Amino acid sequence: MVTCTGCALLCDDIEAIVENNRIKETRNACRRGAARMKGCVNRLVPSIDQQPTDIESSIRKTVDIIKNARSIMLFGWNNSTCEAQAKGIRLAKKLNAVIDDTSSFCQGLLIERILQKKLRTCSLDDIRNKADVLVYWGSDAQDSQPRHLSRFSYFPRGESRQRGYEEDRKAIAIDVRESNTAKICKGHFYRIPLKGDREFILALIEALSGKVPVYDTKKMLELAGILKKAEFGAIFVGIGLTYSIKEDFDILIALAEKLPNFNIMPMVGHYNMRGFNEALFKETGFVNRVKFEKEAIHDDKYSIMESLIEKNIDAIMIVGSDPLASLPRPILKDLASIPVVCIDPCISMTSKIATVTIPCAVTGVESGGTAIRMDGKLIRLSKIITSGYMPDEEIMDRLLEAIS
Amino acid sequence: MSMDIGKFLKSPEYEIKITTYRDIFQAEAMERDRFGEEYKMFSAAISISKIDMQKMGLKTKDRVRISNSHGSIIVEAKEAKKDEPGGLAFMVNSPWSNSLVSGDTQGKGIPEFKNINAKISLSKEEITTLETLIDTFTRKSITV
Repeated sequence: MVTCTGCALLCDDIEAIVENNRIKETRNACRRGAARMKGCVNRLVPSIDQQPTDIESSIRKTVDIIKNARSIMLFGWNNSTCEAQAKGIRLAKKLNAVIDDTSSFCQGLLIERILQKKLRTCSLDDIRNKADVLVYWGSDAQDSQPRHLSRFSYFPRGESRQRGYEEDRKAIAIDVRESNTAKICKGHFYRIPLKGDREFILALIEALSGKVPVYDTKKMLELAGILKKAEFGAIFVGIGLTYSIKEDFDILIALAEKLPNFNIMPMVGHYNMRGFNEALFKETGFVNRVKFEKEAIHDDKYSIMESLIEKNIDAIMIVGSDPLASLPRPILKDLASIPVVCIDPCISMTSKIATVTIPCAVTGVESGGTAIRMDGKLIRLSKIITSGYMPDEEIMDRLLEAIS
Repeated sequence: MSMDIGKFLKSPEYEIKITTYRDIFQAEAMERDRFGEEYKMFSAAISISKIDMQKMGLKTKDRVRISNSHGSIIVEAKEAKKDEPGGLAFMVNSPWSNSLVSGDTQGKGIPEFKNINAKISLSKEEITTLETLIDTFTRKSITV
């Protein structure tokens, strides 16, 4: 059995059938996981100024860039092992660099509050064994973490839930669209308007407090009734909810306080976002957006978005991320106007504009290590086939060695 | 000889609100080949409710231009499979949808990826390619 790195569920029950040192087939993996394990069609090659070169030259050029930059950002990290992340953080400290990851514009707000213990949480195994009420809020797990419902939440027979979804579990979806997950939550789909989550939460808090909410009174009282009866509930917070309440995120804490039998689970996409957030939190007390000087300084201005808008970084090294694909178009010119080092197994939009590219091994396929699942559990990653590509961790070792 | 006056008329423009979502088939296509046809097909598309399609005189497979002050793209329109009430259209999160997202985060660092206001009109132009989205940013060399 091997581990899939398709998402932060880190499914460790995958069978990989290897033929001629390639993964020919996988069993148990979802569509995304299977595709990731089989590999991309376009592997990255080392390059400088978009001209192919050898890996040693790419590493030397990267050392030049990171040494000479006045203020460099080290960005990405969510598709790297815990070991590579730890070395990346060490590199940032040595360089007095800004360090940020994709949680900066994803689930960072939520994971920060979970690590600060402001929100109650539990393990996915607890959910499988005990949960009776499951709330998918702004989360379409069926498309983003496709085995969530089958491995951990709705469908399995758990220790205290031997009758599974037929009798023992109730799934609820709260969303702006009838997602594939919402279709499974038959009869318990609550459609809300775009950016309507805050109003919905306020009304739900009223209903849970015994008041009559003005907002969709009947449905709200019905929902409050189901939640109150839960013995062990879970709210799966998707990016839809996080984005919608980002200006007033602590409203989620107020709701959680009204639901003592519920736990909050961050629905994380990238397989090791939580790993990076935990490592940086342990080191600095913050999950992202940190600048290392004499001490670690955390500020929104050190987010990748604001750093590019404010032009306060003069180079960027990107590890396992494709910000040219995932950031808003208006700021891409700012990204493309500074030296970019791109470390990735595959050709990406970012690699196409990078000053230097360094190809790396596909973690979980060509190199092993560890990662942190969305619920905080440490999971071992497998090395399934051999390749000549350097793991991220080894690239970090080379950079650390070169600057010391 | 008759003259096709229609081709000189600009297609009517409608205001549209768009949110984004994730799609497992698009994610699978991205893992395999971000520059492939399949990824483009799933990404360069907008799903609109039946009621809104009728209001705007659109049908599935029509090409549409979606523009706002942040960017402009040509994608394929398709009628939403589910019984959506209208007023909100859907795109799978991708570099195409991100072309329409504001870079202004009010200093907070999180863009409004899922809350896009734009204008939509029928178009006869080709669907925007990923290469077109990158071309602007391609560069030869930067001296360090």
